[in-house]
Amino acid sequence: MSRQLGRVVSQILNRYFGEIVEKVGNDLFMYGSKPMGMIIKSTGLPRTQVIESLRTLLKFDLATFEAKDVIVDYKLLPDNILLLIRYPRYLLQMKTKYGSEAEMLVEELLQQASCTATVLIVSVMNKYKDDKEKNLNIVKLKDTFISLATAGYIQQAPVAESNSEIPILVPVATIVPDLDVRELINAMNTNLNNVSDNIYWKVNYDRFHLDFRDEVMIKAVTRRIDDNAGELLKLMLEQMYLSSSSWASDSSPVPLTDLKDGCQRISDNMKNHVEQYLRVIEESTAFIRRTGDAGGGQYSVRIQHALIQLVEALCDHTVTERLGGKAARIFRLIRSKKYIEEDDIQKNAMLPNKECKELTYKLLEEHFISVQPMRKAASAGGMAKAIYLYHVKLHDVAHVIRDMCYRSLHNVMSVSRHTRVLNARLLDKKRRVRTIVHGMRLRGEPQQNIDDVRYIFCIYILRGAWTVEVLDTLTPPEVTSSAEAERRLNTLAASELHLDRELFILTSYFTYQR
Amino acid sequence: MSDNKSDEVSEKILNVARKNPKGISDKDMAAAVPELTSAELVAAINKLLQQGVFDLYNQGGSLLYRLKNQNSKQAIKGADNEEKVVYNLIEEAGNKGIWIRDIRIRSNLANTQLTKVLKSLEGKKVIKAVKCVNASKKKVYMLFNLEPDRSVSGGAWYQDQDFESEFVDILNRQCLRFLQQRADKIKNNPRGPIVGRTQSYATAAEVQKYITDLGISKVKLEVEDVITILNTLVYDGKAESNVYPDGNRVYRAIESLLPPPGLVQVPCGVCPLIHKCNSTGLITPQECKYMDEWLEQ
Ligand code: SF4
Repeated sequence: MSRQLGRVVSQILNRYFGEIVEKVGNDLFMYGSKPMGMIIKSTGLPRTQVIESLRTLLKFDLATFEAKDVIVDYKLLPDNILLLIRYPRYLLQMKTKYGSEAEMLVEELLQQASCTATVLIVSVMNKYKDDKEKNLNIVKLKDTFISLATAGYIQQAPVAESNSEIPILVPVATIVPDLDVRELINAMNTNLNNVSDNIYWKVNYDRFHLDFRDEVMIKAVTRRIDDNAGELLKLMLEQMYLSSSSWASDSSPVPLTDLKDGCQRISDNMKNHVEQYLRVIEESTAFIRRTGDAGGGQYSVRIQHALIQLVEALCDHTVTERLGGKAARIFRLIRSKKYIEEDDIQKNAMLPNKECKELTYKLLEEHFISVQPMRKAASAGGMAKAIYLYHVKLHDVAHVIRDMCYRSLHNVMSVSRHTRVLNARLLDKKRRVRTIVHGMRLRGEPQQNIDDVRYIFCIYILRGAWTVEVLDTLTPPEVTSSAEAERRLNTLAASELHLDRELFILTSYFTYQR
Repeated sequence: MSDNKSDEVSEKILNVARKNPKGISDKDMAAAVPELTSAELVAAINKLLQQGVFDLYNQGGSLLYRLKNQNSKQAIKGADNEEKVVYNLIEEAGNKGIWIRDIRIRSNLANTQLTKVLKSLEGKKVIKAVKCVNASKKKVYMLFNLEPDRSVSGGAWYQDQDFESEFVDILNRQCLRFLQQRADKIKNNPRGPIVGRTQSYATAAEVQKYITDLGISKVKLEVEDVITILNTLVYDGKAESNVYPDGNRVYRAIESLLPPPGLVQVPCGVCPLIHKCNSTGLITPQECKYMDEWLEQ
């Protein structure tokens, strides 16, 4: 595991859980796995704080434990920590696919890490019951919960088997529950502790990741060919879920007739040209492959191959932006020729000798390409000059790029932390004012008052029965600089998400390389 | 054709040529030796061209053959034996030229003497030294009036042995523009994607015509030259190529599979200092100017 990963993980832990957890996390990251006593020793934190931190980490699945006799070793799960950055994307996915109820449910579940269906629904209900705009109702929430469970976006949490002192977590198969609305309403009005529901749920990240993977592939095909091709690939991926394991490197073949049936629904143009589209996709992107002739032709989706191509596209972009288009030309040339000599690079890339050499060495220096000396075997002694063959090891380049992503993510996060610290007082104040404004809205105060608080020119607002004392005020310069800080933070947050998208493609690629 | 007969033919053609110092067309040649079939005639002409007797001109769309001036032959008349040997070796090498080392080995002359001979021949403008594009240090010698072969001069892309990268860049961009004009044909084509793709494909010959019509090139570009340029587009990731059943290569402008990814959207992705940037030390994200500028916008 790379040092850069450690730095990002540390930043993330700091942001979401604070300094103490960050410290424990760093310690665990550095040593791989270690028992609690050792953590206390090396971090110098009090025992209770370490226990508290570990509890948090374990609760959110950011660490695991393993029992060796009586000692329990704790181990960090950096990959899961990285997922914290992806939460907004999960929520967005829910919102677009199942509507805002689903978003609320998943948000709550992510915050709680795991909880029972009753608790989940009731707490979402309670949280938003004052909010007129959302217009929640419990039946709808229940239905959404069930469809999420059916689609596999949430699943039952593993249960602890406590035969010995140290529990072991055993995964269980998810059974879609039958929730009774009356009981839910009851639970809302009584104490939650009395509820007998003891099946715990958690978010199934993997299901989301499948969606993201499909989305990337479909978008790529759409970019390269057209919308219809994208639709066709979507259809094939849907078929794939029926017949093969979802992370298989190649889907099991689908007969053409099935695809034709599916295309009927999309459009006439599609229906008439399914075979043509299949051929064009195959030739232009190689995301799919014709595997046989039975039933008018069998086609399978080549997930692994697609990811290789996507990672290649990532590499191309990175090289282009870092070293320029000419370097990217050399990079791609080397990749397409597998092994190539320096002279041939110059000839094919059509670049001046000197520039070509310089760029090649730069590529070498940044580890985008590698070189392999080849001695001409058994030729006339000293005269034989070694030839140097250049080539691209995609796996290594992907590592280089992933490391750069980690680095950038760390940098972006630390700049955003820095900005936040610098403007802490201001942002805090703004938040307070905002809460007041929000409260006034909910209470139905006249707009006039609200505006007053917004731009705060008055210090005391006395209206009717309700009195607010706004002690902190935002002066106009403060308003501008806090807006500026917020704008910066938003840009940074958006980049975090973009970086995460890239990391997602890289990670998916690596899962197939093992 | 026996040697005797072919000599005879050559002599006849040369005679006609001598009478017309402005040059003769192949029709004139055919008239001079009516007994030959056209294939034989072509063979004879080629032989003469190879010997470097003729210069080839394009005049008003038809080719003209003109006799080269024979000064060189005469110049050598007065020369000494060494010069003759060297001259013959160089002449033999044709427009590919010959390397000084090979002359030395084959002529058996000592280094100093050979340099002297070459100098004197060069001084008389009988031979010339041409820099070879493949190896910048390597010079080859050939007869003064010869046009260097592509392998020596580098063809259209070289001007005085210097690679004209700007010219290549311009062509590269123009080719791409041409391909892009028709790239959208594949999108939602009512006649299906195969027809659409075919409409968005362009053959090298089409591109060559477009480039020629643009008139941006001083030299005449062959289809092969255009293919070389089109291939750079493929390496740029901006085009894909395919082969038609008739063996013609076709090209189509394409988009990258992904939009610019997250890494290149943040300053760190393009930052030359990324490997030196750390949490502490001289270069840190908090103090970073690039970040600041980027966030300013
Ligand atoms: S923070 Fe600044 S110096 Fe560091 S890598 Fe990013 S752009 Fe470069």
